[in-house]
Amino acid sequence: MTNDIDDHGGEPDEIAQFLRERVARHQAPTRLRAAVVETLSPSEGRRRPSLWLPPALSALATAMVMLLWLAPVLPRSGGDPLQLLSHAVMTEHARAVLWGEARPDAMPGALPHVMEESGVLLNWVFTGDQDLRLVNAQPTFLEGRRALALTYQDRDGHSVSYIVARGPNVAIPELGRVQIAKWRPLVTKDDGFALIVWKQSGLVCVMVSDLVSEDDLGRFKEYFVKVRSATELSQRY
Amino acid sequence: MADDEFRQQALQHLDALYNLAVYLTRNGSEAEDLVQETYARALRFSHRFQPGTYMRAWMFQILRNTFLTFYRLREREPAISEAGVPDGEAPMFHHAPAEDGESKGAHMDLERALRRLSEEFRTPLLLAEVEGLSLEEVARIMDCPVGTVKSRIFRAKERLRGLLKDYGGPGRI
Repeated sequence: MTNDIDDHGGEPDEIAQFLRERVARHQAPTRLRAAVVETLSPSEGRRRPSLWLPPALSALATAMVMLLWLAPVLPRSGGDPLQLLSHAVMTEHARAVLWGEARPDAMPGALPHVMEESGVLLNWVFTGDQDLRLVNAQPTFLEGRRALALTYQDRDGHSVSYIVARGPNVAIPELGRVQIAKWRPLVTKDDGFALIVWKQSGLVCVMVSDLVSEDDLGRFKEYFVKVRSATELSQRY
Repeated sequence: MADDEFRQQALQHLDALYNLAVYLTRNGSEAEDLVQETYARALRFSHRFQPGTYMRAWMFQILRNTFLTFYRLREREPAISEAGVPDGEAPMFHHAPAEDGESKGAHMDLERALRRLSEEFRTPLLLAEVEGLSLEEVARIMDCPVGTVKSRIFRAKERLRGLLKDYGGPGRI
């Protein structure tokens, strides 16, 4: 069907023809198709990779420890990939707070190794300032996805985990998004944690902390702006 | 309409929706997010879809409304890529098949010209002339009378014609 509107008193519609011939058609990427199929069929969704061998023992060890320790609190509900990922992120944050070792001196030198193992490339990363210090970085494994977890600590000792997971089939709903500076991530609270969730370069990013009161949430959003504006990601690996 | 039938029909329009999303957001990742949100909303509001009407137009309408509600704020800012760097000259046609220099130049010119059209002119033009939707369907998507759609398409073409002449001279088209 065409709509060659005769806009020149009978002249052939050259612009319409030019558009039809010249405008590039963008085909939906395979990963988007898979994500949409999953969105449309939530009960059949969440097909995990049939086989993935962790490239390094540390990632595997982290995942095993998480499974053992967190088995009682693993989410029981199926279906919502974002909710499942959020729960996994919170448990990862809890692990970092309880067992994580602050190694600020090793940062940012340890990042290349962590990036390679997690499969997430940080072209630029926020390495801290007077308010927020980068104290640890770990490859991890969340809901069947390789991920990278950075831990920051603020001046009052609050831990903030910044987790970047491969998993473009996670849709971030519009409900709950708020404007923070020039971005509009999802901001939510769950089980005593505050979470900020967004997508960047096809990766799912989550910041989580126990900064949940109104004042603290404002501070948490400031941390988000620091991290978001200074971090550039890609899926090179 | 049964859920399965609805899902199957909805999925048929994925490429077309993604294509428009790329032109609206000018960013591949955001286009993917926009399309995912469109499908999530379509599923949520599937009970409102009237069987016998055109699902394609209905899906485009959801996509555009989602874009206007949640993405358009960024359009008022300088074009910023998701990495936070200006993307003014980033090619929108990077997925286009290999082509000779002249064709590539024409694509770039067309890309730049389309970018300079405001959304309310660019969208009806693309829907009508690239996606092949009827004026009635475009009017439904744009939530305006058919006459307005005609007028916007006409003005979009005039503007495009002028811009393309600016870029490449009258012989460009």
